Amino acid sequence: MPGPDGELTLLEDIDFTLSSEQSVAITGPSGSGKSTLLGLLAGLDIPTSGQVLLDGQTFSQLDEDGRAVRRGQLCAFVFQHFHLVNDLNAVENVMLPLELKGVEHPQQAARHWLERVGLEHRFKHFPSTLSGGEQQRVALARAFAMQPRLLFADEPTGSLDHANGKRVSELLFDLNRETGTALVLVTHDEHLAMRCQRRLRLEEGRLFEDQPSIDQASINQASINQSSVAKPSTEKPPTAARSTEQISSDQTLSENTR
Amino acid sequence: MINNWLRPWRDRAFQLLALAITIAGFALSSIILLHAELEQRFAVRTAEMLGGDLALTGTRAPEPAQQLLFKNSASSAVVDFSTVLVHNDQLLLVSARAVDRKYPLYGQMQTASGRFEPARPTPNGPAPGELWVADQVLDRLNVEPGDHLTIGSKTLKLSAIIRQLPDQSAGFYSMSPRVVFNQADLEATGVLGPGTRLQYRQMISTDSATLAQLQKNLNATLRPDQRLEDIDNAAVRSMGPLRQLTLWANLAVLLVSMLCGATIYLATSERVAQRARLAGLLRSFGARRQQIITRLLGTEFIAVLPASATGSLLGIALISALHQYLGWQGPLAATSIQWLTILFAPLVLWLAFALPRLTALVRIPAMDILNKRNKQQALSTNIEFAAALGAPVLLAGFLTDSLSDLGSLLLLLVVLGAGLPALLWPLLKGLNLISAKLPLAPRLALRRLSRRPSLTLPLLASLTLAMAVLSLAGQTGNQLLDDWRTRLPEQAPNHFVLNMFEADFETFNHWLEKQQAITQPLYPIVRGRLTEINGEPVSKAVTKEKENNNEALNRDLALTEAADMLPSNKINSGAWHPAKNTVSVEQELADRLGLKLGDKLMFITSRGSVNTTIASLREVDWDTFEPNFYFMFSPGGLANQDVTWLTGFWLPEGDGARLAELIKLLPHITLLDVNTLLEKANDIISQASGATALLAVLLMLSAMLVLAAALLGGQSQRGRDNALLRTLGGNRHLLYRVVWAEFITLCGCAAVGAIIIIVATLYPLTARLFNDQPQFSIWYLLPLLLGFGVAIVGVMASRGALNIPALSLLRDEA
Repeated sequence: MPGPDGELTLLEDIDFTLSSEQSVAITGPSGSGKSTLLGLLAGLDIPTSGQVLLDGQTFSQLDEDGRAVRRGQLCAFVFQHFHLVNDLNAVENVMLPLELKGVEHPQQAARHWLERVGLEHRFKHFPSTLSGGEQQRVALARAFAMQPRLLFADEPTGSLDHANGKRVSELLFDLNRETGTALVLVTHDEHLAMRCQRRLRLEEGRLFEDQPSIDQASINQASINQSSVAKPSTEKPPTAARSTEQISSDQTLSENTR
Repeated sequence: MINNWLRPWRDRAFQLLALAITIAGFALSSIILLHAELEQRFAVRTAEMLGGDLALTGTRAPEPAQQLLFKNSASSAVVDFSTVLVHNDQLLLVSARAVDRKYPLYGQMQTASGRFEPARPTPNGPAPGELWVADQVLDRLNVEPGDHLTIGSKTLKLSAIIRQLPDQSAGFYSMSPRVVFNQADLEATGVLGPGTRLQYRQMISTDSATLAQLQKNLNATLRPDQRLEDIDNAAVRSMGPLRQLTLWANLAVLLVSMLCGATIYLATSERVAQRARLAGLLRSFGARRQQIITRLLGTEFIAVLPASATGSLLGIALISALHQYLGWQGPLAATSIQWLTILFAPLVLWLAFALPRLTALVRIPAMDILNKRNKQQALSTNIEFAAALGAPVLLAGFLTDSLSDLGSLLLLLVVLGAGLPALLWPLLKGLNLISAKLPLAPRLALRRLSRRPSLTLPLLASLTLAMAVLSLAGQTGNQLLDDWRTRLPEQAPNHFVLNMFEADFETFNHWLEKQQAITQPLYPIVRGRLTEINGEPVSKAVTKEKENNNEALNRDLALTEAADMLPSNKINSGAWHPAKNTVSVEQELADRLGLKLGDKLMFITSRGSVNTTIASLREVDWDTFEPNFYFMFSPGGLANQDVTWLTGFWLPEGDGARLAELIKLLPHITLLDVNTLLEKANDIISQASGATALLAVLLMLSAMLVLAAALLGGQSQRGRDNALLRTLGGNRHLLYRVVWAEFITLCGCAAVGAIIIIVATLYPLTARLFNDQPQFSIWYLLPLLLGFGVAIVGVMASRGALNIPALSLLRDEA
């Protein structure tokens, strides 16, 4: 993207694969490109070069609507600022993605998931009458209600106090384990990152893998290729060994990519 | 400095606000200036009709003490009386006017030197020894310019033919034609003696500063026979095009002000919402409330100044060009208060809406603003919206001095405009409740609309009002033009023929065919004098005071009979000829004489008497160029009377030879040429039509501005909604369908509200403007069409909101 001192490259030489049921934390200082990377992984944006594959299909080949539909089928989100719809109550907020998906009896499912996050007494409450922790739990219910195969969480505890943050992170990982959802967690919080199976660190637009963390055994397969030169995806090693759910990013992000 | 000035312009919300202020400045300045011009023209016309700024009438000259009161003001006196004009043993009853050398104070006279000569402006009245006469005199007495005629003991030389007097309007085919001579000859005529019925009319011209005091002083000295009239009470009597136009212009000023207020309110909402974060930050840095307001408003104020000035200058330029184009004399007519309003109203409106919002904003804890909590509460107040509509109306009301006149109508409009959305609100809520069975897109749209009263209600109110005003402007403007076209069609009769006999019809029709003249209906005329009311002589039935003020009692009247009522007449009470031998009476005359339905009247005619019963009271439009009558009998009511016939025809203006031929063929008829009067009326109508069209355009422009502001105002929220939907898997097609459903619902509700407003306000509006009941018109349904159009524009305008990247949610930019 254009910067005051010329062209600015946000992400470079990034190549990694994420398997199903795997959790990966992406950490890094502010401005290192974490949210940008998350946006690319989720198909909210497309890289200026390189590609992102979701379930074997590249996002770049899909148009905006195709990406949205695929996202709706496979992914869910938890945001730092919750992004609940202010004029929908808790049940309706959870129902929203289910309605978009065309799920039958969305209200029942929404109530179920709200109960799962301990908000059975807050069904009819609007976001403005919920605490930050409660709002994030509604967001968690909304995300898991979609029964995604991949959950993106962008600083999910970033706007919460310690106690609420802890409760939300417990719920996040519990539900993640129970549902077998793959998790991509962007966070500043080292303790939170430590709970993921893998930890990736973004520094100045490049990705590094930290030491393997707990639950390493559950990783089906992971490979990170760090290189100073971006490789075209055709040059990558064969992916036959990859599981059916995988994410690959190999990109140089520059102008026009946010 | 320049950076400070330019910075706000980079923000879209500010650009919208600046555009709103520019157009509001343009619309307000144009309409206030145009209104001032029209008002001045109306005042001038009324003053011409009155003869001065004040007219003191009585049965004799004003007292010396009264004359002292207006000795420093320009004044002119005329004496009006009925007398007999004599020429070679022939007598003719005429309405004589003796004028002084200052006559007329206002307006213009036009005379012609011969029967078919063109009219020319004539600044002063006849010199001593001279006499001017109306056309009828030439025909009735068979005279021509240069002949000598006698009034009483004085013989005067016929020097000109009257084509137009400044205070002449209706009654141009009066039974007693007008003659004018110099007051210096009045005493020599010897016709004025004790008991002579006359009206002494003193017309005074003065500046507005001394007018009120002079009026007060004169009012304190009035004799029982005297009456003092000013422009205001003279204007009330008139329902001519200028009066209608002035009323409509007043209404337009009020509506444009209201719409501009609503636009600035909507645009300010968006901008203040944008500035909320900065206000929160400043608070968190420890800035005091006052400092924040000063800082935020200060920069904005400097930045909006050029927008406001540009708008006002554009408005001034438009009206100056119009002034030039229409050939209006003198500088622009706006008063100093109006100029101040033109220059500052948009800024004052903006400050009035921005200041309370910022004040409310700085009361909220900084963190709440930064965390976007409490945002709705800070920015949504329906009271504010009511103030946004009401304050400019009050301002405009004081400017136009028309609140008392149109206040109830405006109140109705504002109450309905603000109240109807509140009534429609439960409908939206109800629709939302049953929306579970609807497809996804309308379900989401209804949910959005029904959950956001702070966004939906002002939007609904603005759309409703704007659509209602657009339709009202279109309908009323159109109806005014139609009304004037009907009143004065392109080929309105420019000549009238009186004193025709049945035996003349063949010759007359043959001549008309030959000239390809466009004819009018024929009316039988019987000359008669009202002598008895309910068996009592008029002198007893009518008080002396009323009798003095009623020329109808002191002269022969033109009585007619007709099966059909004239199109420009309207029955106020009773029914049109429900039985034989009934009569319909003109309402004002009936009021003056105290006549009511069922009263029995007796007229004396050349064949004896005619008895009849009043069956209806009728309103008559004296400004039309068609014959009007005080008394219209049922068919057969004037049987066996000496009848002459009256008709009119339109003939292209020519050299007069054709008319001379008619006079030669039928020497006993009286021919009236009203081309000069018609031209003047046409000129007024064409100027009024132009002004009406311009007012309608300004009104429509203001209404569209509100629509644009309302549509653009909700875009940021719509963008956030769409980004979230897209993140959750909603495709573009779904987003489009949601936006469509949202606008169709919104515009549908607004259209229904607008139709209700139109139906409710058109009755009082039509009664005021046209003195009539509204007819069903296709304009009533215009809001439905508008609603559809606005929905399309709304969806188009929302394309930007559909394209907001979902990634913005991650970045928290939306």
